[in-house]
Amino acid sequence: MISKKTVKKILNLLLESGGDFADIFIQSKISNNLRLDDNKIENVSSGYETGCGLRLIFNDSTYYAFIDSVDEERLAESARIVRSAINNSQKINILNLNKRKSGYGTRILKYPNLVNPEQKAEYLIAADNAARDVSEKIIQVTSVINDVEEYEFIANSEGYLCENKSVKTFMAANVIAMKSGEIRTGYKSYALTRGMEIFSKKKPDDVAKQAAEIAVRMLDAVNAPTGTMPVIIGPGFGGVIFHEACGHSLEADAVVKDASVFKNKIGKKIASECVNAVDDSTLKYHWGSYKFDGEGYPAKRNQLIKEGVLLSYLTDYKSAKKMSIPLSGNARRQSYRDIPYPRMSNTFIDAGKDKPGDIIKSVDDGIYAKEFAGGQVDPATGDFVFGISEGYIVKKGKLCEPIKGATLIGSGPEILKKIEMVGNNLEFSPGFCGKNGQSIANEVGQPTILVSSITVGGTEI
Amino acid sequence: MKISLDSKNKLIKKAENISLFFKDKYIDDFEIYISASIDNEIEVYNKSVESLSHSDTSGVGIRIFKDKKAGYAWINSFEDSKIKDCIDKAVLNARASGADEYNGIPQEKESRYVLNKNIENFLYSESFNEYSVDKKINMLKYVEEISRKKDKRIIGVDSLSYSDSLYETVILNSSGFKRSLLQTSSFIFLNLIARKDDDTSTGFGFSYGRDPGSFNLEDVAEEAVKRSTMLLGARKIKSKSSTIILDPITASQFLGVIASAVTADAVQKGKSLFKGKINERIFDIDLNIYDNGIMEDGFSSKPFDAEGINKGKTTVFEKGILKTYLYDCYTARKDNKQSTGNASRASYRIPPTVGISNFYIEPGKKDVSEIISRIDEGFYVIDVIGMHSGANPVSGDLSVGAKGVLIKNGSIDDPVKEVTIASDLMSFCKKIECIGNDLKFFPSGGFIGSPSIVIRDIAISGN
Repeated sequence: MISKKTVKKILNLLLESGGDFADIFIQSKISNNLRLDDNKIENVSSGYETGCGLRLIFNDSTYYAFIDSVDEERLAESARIVRSAINNSQKINILNLNKRKSGYGTRILKYPNLVNPEQKAEYLIAADNAARDVSEKIIQVTSVINDVEEYEFIANSEGYLCENKSVKTFMAANVIAMKSGEIRTGYKSYALTRGMEIFSKKKPDDVAKQAAEIAVRMLDAVNAPTGTMPVIIGPGFGGVIFHEACGHSLEADAVVKDASVFKNKIGKKIASECVNAVDDSTLKYHWGSYKFDGEGYPAKRNQLIKEGVLLSYLTDYKSAKKMSIPLSGNARRQSYRDIPYPRMSNTFIDAGKDKPGDIIKSVDDGIYAKEFAGGQVDPATGDFVFGISEGYIVKKGKLCEPIKGATLIGSGPEILKKIEMVGNNLEFSPGFCGKNGQSIANEVGQPTILVSSITVGGTEI
Repeated sequence: MKISLDSKNKLIKKAENISLFFKDKYIDDFEIYISASIDNEIEVYNKSVESLSHSDTSGVGIRIFKDKKAGYAWINSFEDSKIKDCIDKAVLNARASGADEYNGIPQEKESRYVLNKNIENFLYSESFNEYSVDKKINMLKYVEEISRKKDKRIIGVDSLSYSDSLYETVILNSSGFKRSLLQTSSFIFLNLIARKDDDTSTGFGFSYGRDPGSFNLEDVAEEAVKRSTMLLGARKIKSKSSTIILDPITASQFLGVIASAVTADAVQKGKSLFKGKINERIFDIDLNIYDNGIMEDGFSSKPFDAEGINKGKTTVFEKGILKTYLYDCYTARKDNKQSTGNASRASYRIPPTVGISNFYIEPGKKDVSEIISRIDEGFYVIDVIGMHSGANPVSGDLSVGAKGVLIKNGSIDDPVKEVTIASDLMSFCKKIECIGNDLKFFPSGGFIGSPSIVIRDIAISGN
């Protein structure tokens, strides 16, 4: 797509007025989106894009430009615009570019762009039928299949370059059920960094059926209790609480800006002893995995918390340099249009020793939060809110009736200290994470855990 | 594709060239949507430039109809061979989509409103280019400086950014529509961090306009200082049921949930609790809510929507009664109505969907201070979190985190945090008791505006 010679020329042009670091990020991508809604395939859409981002870092400043092209002349024009922002006599000259290696690799069997859209439409129709078969109370089903085939090329002024091809397939179903005027929804997603072969393991029907079952179960929900109580958080998507309320505060750009509650906490105990937390971008085929991060650094496993003690932050070039700590392989960007920032990949609370059944048995009066509708957190304060989309009352060690309209509210650092039991049933769940206007593929995970007390916001006072 | 304040015809020419590629295609209709933009973004932190980004990008989206099926494909290149591939992909995609009698290219007669051409003059500023990069950087530095001076509890800036955009869009379709539109926009956002003893709190301020000249920088800083310091020392309170006041920003976030539930798309698919409620009273008080696509100072104003249909002012709720849903051509045909000009698209990368324009509650007459002075016991909400997860426009469930201050005997009392407010959308609407005169717009999806609103008997849960 672009020659080494041209890349070197552009990098040197970027650094012509000085600067500490420069990189070039080229991306070429084909994406396909299918959506079934209201009983019909209503939107089949495809996109082709190729573009390039040029970045120059000098002191604490980042200068960036991007264009929809890899044409040498247009790249040179953009490089000139970027470098005009600074004027420094100290210059770096790049003489050679060496290919960087990654220990992570994947094998793709069915490239999604080669699969006829009519085949994908059949998957969604089957999913729609499966969801509607669950109950006559199902009144609406929306399902999607989104896939991406992507090529990335990154080179930087430290003399590294890397190339990578990746494939992603995402499927999700959202189901609405109704009973005597009450409406409930259920949602499930399934996504891997693989091709269409992901549907030979788990069919779109199964995903849609699970979503339908949640919606139907929730029809019998009673008003959620209010107040402070023990909360069991279910495996898989329950990990979104750790992601939002703790993970974001471990992203080093927040730490640098004094906008993190975990600043100056390395080596300190920030969680109960039973908590071990990891960010690992090398989990094979997982939704948040990659070969190289958005700055071309190889994927890596990072232990964030060990036995309650904070070990490391997630970094990109700029924050690692500023804090004099190592790169963690977590610089991520949505596309060539975006500046990379430290972001999570597959982030999870690691498996513990407790049996999930024992965790439930230990609670006398509380709730079990199984699925969430998402959440939000202020990283500067650690304050969070999560909407529970599937939850149950727990009485005398037993799961009782489902609850509706409940949210969990609290502070991340406080919750970490209140985790009392960690199950042995680690599960993962794929999703998307938004930060600085960029949405990227993320996976959250955890086993069943018990938090001794969280404020539950319901409607029943 | 270089665009500038005086380059209009170039993009139209491009669209005309592309339209020739459809000649030998066996399709019924097509639509070409081109957009090109030059964007700048600057972030300042600790008196120096944190980042500066510049881009010059463009692309084309192709929508085709064949045998009542629709297909879409887009590309960010204008090379002939690539655009031809893109057209072929749209044709292939249409084959996989479901046939629907209401699919088809928009026709002029489907507009509910007459063309308001005059609004075009309010979409850009001739002086947009007069602001140099240095001028913009200095403006940000100034905002940081005055913010820090305003209150010693301000310990830093979490985020301070300026962004602007010069953009042009063209729509050309096979039913004869061919128009282009030039727009400029500037936006400034500040989020401050305040600290007192061990407690940290954040708060934001923002301003927008067609060029940076329309910003009120003093207000941006003042608002962020007020919002961040007001909540310092906040604590949880005991669960109770109380009267709440939502300030204009939090009120417009709730209004956003209502907005998404009045789009005809949500209603027709059974995803709205306003389904079947036309001409029913939703609010106990005589509230008027408009979607106005031709407001002179509206950021979502345009003469025509994303599929070329005229925009206008739609009365969605009149005196508390639901009068109409918002339509694009497809949903209008399904209900045997005319389009309200609400087809919207964020970029050429997605096909049009139904969306709001400038959606707002008509303000009342009372000052907020007067409203507060009449409340014996209440909760003044200035921040809600978890709105996208805690408010379900389908079921109507509403449960979000809230921060604010208590009201006691008509005046502001202790700050409160870590509580949730919960209700369901319908009783929430019913229980609105009065509104203020302080209408403020908030850019979110479209452009949403609300005055302060007072709601009785809302469940607040804390300890």
